[in-house]
Amino acid sequence: MIKGQVKVVNRLGLHARAAALVVKRAADFESSVMLIREDKSVYADAKSILSVLSLAASNGLELAIEVEGPDEESAFAAMSKLFEEGFGEL
Amino acid sequence: MKTIGGVVVSHGQFANELVSAAEQVVGEIPHVAAVSIGWHDNVDVAKGEIERAIKSVSSGNGVLLLTDMFGGTPTNISAMFIKENEVEVVTGVNLPMVIKLASQNKEMSLLEMAELVERQGKESIYKAADLLDPHKSKA
Repeated sequence: MIKGQVKVVNRLGLHARAAALVVKRAADFESSVMLIREDKSVYADAKSILSVLSLAASNGLELAIEVEGPDEESAFAAMSKLFEEGFGEL
Repeated sequence: MKTIGGVVVSHGQFANELVSAAEQVVGEIPHVAAVSIGWHDNVDVAKGEIERAIKSVSSGNGVLLLTDMFGGTPTNISAMFIKENEVEVVTGVNLPMVIKLASQNKEMSLLEMAELVERQGKESIYKAADLLDPHKSKA
C-alpha cells in the first residue's frame, strides 16, 4: 500500500465537477484509492462521487491518500498529479 | 452487468431538471428517465407516461421509481406500479439519490438498490455549517 498526502489547491475546492474528475481518474486503475480527511476521520472511496463530496474538502485542505493494488504506483502518481493541477482549474 | 433502470417522477419540470443536473455531474445516464407531471394533467395520461418510461429504461433487472414527495400525485400514481422484483418506489428524490442510481458499479437486486438509494438520500442531507466550521460542529 502507498500512503501519502494531497492538497486541494483550486479555489472552489472539491466541488461536483472536480469530484467527478477524481472519480474518473481513480476508476482508470484497478487499485483501491481512499481519501481521508484526518481532522474529521472521514474516509472516502475515491471511486464514488458521493463519497468524495462528503469530504467537504475546501481550498487549502490536505487529505491523506491510501492506494492499494497491482497498479498502485501509477494510480498514486496519477491522483497526486490531478490534485497538484487543481483539477485543471488553476 | 445488468443495470437497474430508474424513472424520476415529479410535479412540474423538477424531474427533467434533476436528471439533467445529474448528467452534468456524471455524464449521460441512459438508464434513467424523467417524467414530469403537469399540475392539471389527467391521471390516466400521467399513468401512461410512467408506464412508457418504465418500459424504456427496463433491462429486465427491475426499475426504481424516484418520486418527489410522499403523498403527492406523482407518488400515488407511481405506487400503482409496485411489483416485487419489478418496480419499487422511493420518495423524496434528491440529486445524490439520482447520482447513486446513475453510478451502479456492482450488480444487486432491485430491493437492495431501493434500500441503498433511500439510505443515500437521507445521509446526503447536512446542515452545511456543522460540516464546514469545526468550532460549531457537534459531530
